[in-house]
Amino acid sequence: MKHRDAIDWSVLSGPRVSRRTLLQLAVASGATGYAAQLSHAAASESGRQRVARNLQQEAKQGGELRWGFGLGQIPTLDPAQVNLGIVAGELLSNLFSGLVQFDEQLGIIPDLAEDWEVSSDGLDYTFHIRTGLTFHNGDSLTANDFVYTYERTSNPDFASPQANKLALITDISAPDDNTLVMKQSAPYAPFLATTCSRGPGRALAPISKRAVEEMGDEQFGLAPVGCGPFMIVPETVEVGGGFEMVAFEDWYGGRPNLDKVIVQLVAEPSTLVSAMEAGDVDMLDIVPSIGFDRIDALDGVTTVEAAGTNWYGLTMNYAVPPWDNPDARMAVAKAIDFDDMNKKAFFGRAVESVGPLAPAFGWVYQPPEEVDNPQAFNLDEAKALAESAGLDGVKPRLIGTPADQRVTETLRNQLSEIGLDVQIDQMQTNAYVESRTSGDFDMVMLGSVVDADPDDGVWNYFHSTGPSNPQGYNNPEADDLADGQRETGDIEERTQLLRDLQTLVASEAVYKFMYHLPDVTAFYDYVMGYVPIPEQRYLEGLWLDK
Amino acid sequence: MTQYIIRHLIHSVIIVWGCATLVFFLMRAIPGDPIIQMLGPEYTPEAADALRHKLGLDEPVWIQYFKWMGDALRGDFGSSITGAESVGGAIASGLPKTMSIALLAFLIATAIAVPAGILAALKRNSPADFVVSIIAFLGVSMPSFWFGIILILVFAVNLGWLPSLGYKSFSSDGPVEWFRHLLLPSLAIGAGYSAILMRFVRASLLEAMNSDYIRTARAKGLSERRVVVAHGLRNSLIPVVTVAGIQVALLLSGTVIIETVFAIRGIGRLLIGAIFDKDYPMVQGTILVVAVIFVFANLIVDIIYTLLDPRIKYD
Repeated sequence: MKHRDAIDWSVLSGPRVSRRTLLQLAVASGATGYAAQLSHAAASESGRQRVARNLQQEAKQGGELRWGFGLGQIPTLDPAQVNLGIVAGELLSNLFSGLVQFDEQLGIIPDLAEDWEVSSDGLDYTFHIRTGLTFHNGDSLTANDFVYTYERTSNPDFASPQANKLALITDISAPDDNTLVMKQSAPYAPFLATTCSRGPGRALAPISKRAVEEMGDEQFGLAPVGCGPFMIVPETVEVGGGFEMVAFEDWYGGRPNLDKVIVQLVAEPSTLVSAMEAGDVDMLDIVPSIGFDRIDALDGVTTVEAAGTNWYGLTMNYAVPPWDNPDARMAVAKAIDFDDMNKKAFFGRAVESVGPLAPAFGWVYQPPEEVDNPQAFNLDEAKALAESAGLDGVKPRLIGTPADQRVTETLRNQLSEIGLDVQIDQMQTNAYVESRTSGDFDMVMLGSVVDADPDDGVWNYFHSTGPSNPQGYNNPEADDLADGQRETGDIEERTQLLRDLQTLVASEAVYKFMYHLPDVTAFYDYVMGYVPIPEQRYLEGLWLDK
Repeated sequence: MTQYIIRHLIHSVIIVWGCATLVFFLMRAIPGDPIIQMLGPEYTPEAADALRHKLGLDEPVWIQYFKWMGDALRGDFGSSITGAESVGGAIASGLPKTMSIALLAFLIATAIAVPAGILAALKRNSPADFVVSIIAFLGVSMPSFWFGIILILVFAVNLGWLPSLGYKSFSSDGPVEWFRHLLLPSLAIGAGYSAILMRFVRASLLEAMNSDYIRTARAKGLSERRVVVAHGLRNSLIPVVTVAGIQVALLLSGTVIIETVFAIRGIGRLLIGAIFDKDYPMVQGTILVVAVIFVFANLIVDIIYTLLDPRIKYD
């Protein structure tokens, strides 16, 4: 609260909130800062050079892109019902537009809104919507469609998992077809990135009212009518197989280059890699760690690596002794050897983590070598702490899913060094999530996966009332820092608050912070025009040179 | 015979109903709440209550049961609770894939197993028998998952002859594409299946060939070919058909893994995914269909018995 009065939030106004603005004015919303300094988001040199070179060639129209996507199924494509960040950032972002979108540096640039103003108290947002917009079904798209979308997503009967993204909005109105006004009960730094953006801001991705009324919510989830550069081909949709999307001729940005994108879902990572090797797909959404070396070694294939927005750690249940003892938690933290884990579980592809601030958030991220890490691997200190905390012979129950197997097995081996006999309880995702949510565990691996701002990966996990705080961490100082970073518009202040919070939770060993995974994609060299935006895939610029 | 079939069908209905009921209550007894997983990081008790109410999961279990049964009897299996898909639609899309794989795997297995089994039985203890037995042993021991990946690496990645993944529809993409996409997954399952079947053909033919009626047939002066095919093989097929019928189960469970390896969403993957997600209506509908398939496979086996051996009469 103390931050609020001094800040002029109107610098978040459009039509562009760039990296330069951020740095010069030292003011940011969460997402503009998201990549204000992408110094650590280095794409692999060869990949990035190639990408930059082929962006200068003139695009050819036409062709089909076969896109291998590492998911087993996509239960719904209704933006308001999608709860996987990867589906939002990589698929929905091609079927739907947002008010704003991200540039390569994750700055905020116009999408359906040409321009916008933010009041100096940070509460009122006024968006100026482009004229002549249409949905895929030909209906015109105006500011009223955002009001309808707001009402649909926030309707309690609709039970959208995205409704909480709209919780701060107290009033939304469309004074005319091209003006959208939203009022909020409190300033919220990540609002543009998390609620209004193309892809992640799916709570407000404009929905065609007529389409929903004609199709019903269920059918709409299978063949949504959006307004993005590509439109879905309803008869090709298979929940566990994939779908096809074709160029939307009337897209406001001009027809995309590709005629068609064929999304092929592949749950098994080794099959995804083989499909790429066999040339059965042209591009992968994300290269699985297990196949990186094989893909990277392929002739005629470019891999592009960008920093990830995720973090993963191991937390211990404060309600179960001895894990209420900071020494016990720190003993575990210091006994975990990242290098060994990286080799065994990630084939050397992971990045060491010292806290919840992920490498993609370059403006706030600090690489391990720049941080005095209280949790740095040190077996002697770990053993001493373990002895004083009486950990010898303790058998903590570590819950996890089959996907975590390599990591949990490595953890069991490493923690045996300090006398812990870790009992791995591997469960199906559903039972795992329930055990975790209800606090039925001694240890659990957890982390924040994909979002457009560090806020979700911090507030949700370290605020005493955060939804992802199953270990029961409760520290008023952490609450103040987590609240404070939300309420400031000053990037330097926000950076400091986030870093202070990171230092605090690392020194208290709320988690053993373990690793970040990079965002790596790969495609054959004839796929041109790819623009790397961390954890997003905008396909309208892609074209095929063949 | 007609009476037998009718009686069998009545039994079948009871069995299928029993399966469906058991699955309905078992799914609700095993740990894990689908609502918590569906909401993921957006979970709050209020959102969970709203979603539970929307899906009708806040009603007493027995009311849910009778509602589901009533709808199912009218052919309405409901909709997935984790997604937008209708259960009937998902099964209609998955069933042809699984049946195609299973059918081709069965044909491949039979085409390998019957001649190989006959060869091994007739040339008992010869090098041919030895080689066939070794291959069968390898076939049984080889996990289909691993064999599937090897097939992909050899025929899709290295030779580039066949696609590495996916399924094409017979009607819209044509029989050639359909077959090309089916061959590797069917081979991966069929290989192990053929090994088991081959051992049965061998053992049962050996037994038949030592019977009195074979000696009689030979004494009548029939050609050896006719002795083997018309008398030996025909009589040896009863245990083989029994095993083949039971092995339909193996084929279907084999497709679960193979469908994952080849990124084909048939009934197997649909079911496993639904169980993991605790997607109640999807599990119930799929199990119902699988149960019907099993019951009918058994009925068909019973009918084939009477064709093979006229002494078997059901009335």
